[in-house]
Amino acid sequence: MAKRSVLGLYSEEDSAADALDNLREAGFEEGEYEILTGVPYPEGTFGEAEPEHKLYRWPLIGAACGFTIALLITAGTELAYPLITGGKPILSIPAMAIIMYEGSMLGAIIFTVIGIIFESRLPRIFMGAYSEKITEGHIGVTVTTDETRTDVAETALNKAGTDGEIIRGWE
Amino acid sequence: MVTDPGDRVVESYVETDNSVETRKAVSDGLLGIHNVTSNTFWQFAAFFGILFLLGVVGFVMRLSSGFDDKAAWGYYVAVFAFLMTTSSAAPMVAIAPRIANSHWRRPISRAAEIWTLAGCLNLILYIPLIWLLPSLENGRRSLWFYGQQEGVPAYSPHIWATLAIVGLVLLGLSLLWLSTLPDFAVLRDHGEGWKKKWGGKLALGWRGTSAQWNWQHHRMGVVGAFYFMMLVFVHFFISVEFLMVHVPGWIDSLYPITHAHNALQAGVATVMLTMFFLRQFGGYKDYIGLDQFWGLGKLLLALSLLWFWFWFSSFNVFWYGKKPSEQAVLELFVKGPYLYLFITIFILVFILPWFTMIWNPVRRSIWGPPILAASVLLGTLLDRIRLYVASWDVAGKNMVSQLEMKMSEVPTKIPAPEIADIFIMVGFIGGSILTFMLATRLIPAINLWEQKEMLLYKAEVQFHRTKVTIMGKSR
Repeated sequence: MAKRSVLGLYSEEDSAADALDNLREAGFEEGEYEILTGVPYPEGTFGEAEPEHKLYRWPLIGAACGFTIALLITAGTELAYPLITGGKPILSIPAMAIIMYEGSMLGAIIFTVIGIIFESRLPRIFMGAYSEKITEGHIGVTVTTDETRTDVAETALNKAGTDGEIIRGWE
Repeated sequence: MVTDPGDRVVESYVETDNSVETRKAVSDGLLGIHNVTSNTFWQFAAFFGILFLLGVVGFVMRLSSGFDDKAAWGYYVAVFAFLMTTSSAAPMVAIAPRIANSHWRRPISRAAEIWTLAGCLNLILYIPLIWLLPSLENGRRSLWFYGQQEGVPAYSPHIWATLAIVGLVLLGLSLLWLSTLPDFAVLRDHGEGWKKKWGGKLALGWRGTSAQWNWQHHRMGVVGAFYFMMLVFVHFFISVEFLMVHVPGWIDSLYPITHAHNALQAGVATVMLTMFFLRQFGGYKDYIGLDQFWGLGKLLLALSLLWFWFWFSSFNVFWYGKKPSEQAVLELFVKGPYLYLFITIFILVFILPWFTMIWNPVRRSIWGPPILAASVLLGTLLDRIRLYVASWDVAGKNMVSQLEMKMSEVPTKIPAPEIADIFIMVGFIGGSILTFMLATRLIPAINLWEQKEMLLYKAEVQFHRTKVTIMGKSR
């Protein structure tokens, strides 16, 4: 079934929060509706669920990969050419530390940049229901659902007192 | 506020101004300034553009003489190090206070971040240095255990320093894009002409969902922290590979972090001057005020005091140690041909900021901190010339030993800058400023979304017989 999105605009935070309550009462699930704002409100301002937070995986995995590669390069080199220098052990940490640090950093950086691109879900080719008023300061509540349920969503949004007409879009 | 006839407050009073109209007014006000490109802007841009062209001419002149004469490149390396010390460190003014959740930095964060674009110019300037830097086969002291362990490439410094600098530039660009993403959406929705078009392209369909804001907030924190780590590491490399190892006998484990500290001090000074010019000539007088100069002025004072601590800690070891090689190093950098330059630097970077910024009327003013910032930047430029020109002068000579320098080998005079060197110095500093200026034509110099966000956390309340502004703690 084709997905459609509808957007209600609100000028007050409480009205947007009421719209979310109405949508829940009408049977819409988390993930079907979203809050759109031009500023980052504190999480939970509108009673929405806090976004799942797994953002540290990318740099951690990258750092681990980079560290491992750097460790293999340095230790491999030292073991391949085992020369005792100044009575120090063959695998001596000070000689390896710089490359291991940089390897970890580069791995973390590369993975972070990849993570940024991946996690952002950008570019978004189709904007769906959207209004330029959001970047002006209005608060938008958008519902993306089956074509058959958009009327229910519009009723729920209107009940909270939208500022203007409902905007429709497609995904 | 409700009061009785005796001016006594009888009802609690709280006033916030977070309406749609206010948010729109903030957005419109800043966009209005952003959309105007004055004649003064183009006059400055033309001036710095001409300087940059001179820099390119100077570079071609220098390049035509080849890389064999190391001493001839001293001023080039100095200006590269100066730009790494200033423009690449400026974003720290956005990163550190943002992590600390401070509000005063909001109007100046973006200006600090835009300096990351000048990092691209630094990367271009770095390319010839790969050819200039001798391989480890010349027998100099190094970090790389070359000659002590087999399998270490003779070009290890070239490989790892390049990767580190590329990493720093990549992080800087990521940080700037992350921070500007919501503002690109504003340009897409309300911009004009080519700014609207590019805003649309760079916003990549940003809509401002809770998940997107959450992602952007956390990702800016991670990238910012990495930027700081990489900045220190890059300064470690620059100060070791392009400076210390070329002076036989200069062994100082503290100096790399001194170099990084100098960058933080000069980065703060760079942003201080930037915000002064944005306020005076950019039309942002209503946004950049005393709070910003005061806040950054305190940081500049603290970092200027630290300058002395770092310098003295290193100097003391050499002065007390008194080995012949240590005396030669002091003769080169402090007591010999660079004595008067050193005294000038000492006054500009430490004495002047210290004795002026301790006074409230100077520190808590619009004009005081920028004057001292100019002093710090001039002193830092001279310091980079003192250290890098001296080191590459030594690198160009055939020393008896690559492990220690004799007193008789210390150069007796400062290599005079040639016309190419003067072009390079003014040209690439001008090029860096030009990069910043041109970037502000697309990217708003003041962060729109952070200015609007502040409305959420600001309230005026009655406190006994007076009114105070309460700033809430953001996420």
